[in-house]
Amino acid sequence: MAELLFIAVALLLGLSALAGALGVSLLGGKFLEGAARQPELVPLLRSQFFIVVGLVDAIPMIGVGMALYMLFAG
Amino acid sequence: MLEKPEESGLNLAGVRSRVQGSQGKVVAQAFAKVLLIQVFITSALSLALIFKDFVAAYSAFIGGMLYLIPTAYFTLKVQFKNNAHTAKEILANVYMSQFGKMVLAIALFSLTFMLVEPLNPLSLFVTFILMQISGWYLQFKINNRFLKR
Repeated sequence: MAELLFIAVALLLGLSALAGALGVSLLGGKFLEGAARQPELVPLLRSQFFIVVGLVDAIPMIGVGMALYMLFAG
Repeated sequence: MLEKPEESGLNLAGVRSRVQGSQGKVVAQAFAKVLLIQVFITSALSLALIFKDFVAAYSAFIGGMLYLIPTAYFTLKVQFKNNAHTAKEILANVYMSQFGKMVLAIALFSLTFMLVEPLNPLSLFVTFILMQISGWYLQFKINNRFLKR
């Protein structure tokens, strides 16, 4: 049973990390594309980029929390 | 009459930095407003639960803080202590801040589950998820730029 718990925690942490990394890297790539295409829009793109980066990691954070709870409470 | 290239470049730089400053200020104010509202929601929820169940009340407070502390760190690093100007610098700053936020969240979760006993996990996670949802909602409401067509 303990082995299954560790596998579940590893999957939760790994998939959370993968999702967060994919989201933030796609956003970063789009930000660089936008900045290269229209450098005068960098201030506007920068503010929107900050806001959306803050929103992207919500689900991975919940996943990390659940995984750590399972690890320590289990 | 044509402007000298150095002068027009200087003017453009001046305008750009002013635009960047005002834009950054507006977004920083919006971030601070969202965080204040979330602190209020966490406190109100904990106070409401304190009369029913003390463990659930402090678990809810901890759940709120587990969201608010890493988010406040990210906001501080990205909005208030940010001297990046080029796209590359901005991106590097955001990635480092995001990494710090994740490390802080993992450390705080681990410390909570190791040190706080007894704990009501349902209350903790419900408050934590509520904070995430309120973060989305408030950002979209306060930064009405997203709603423009």
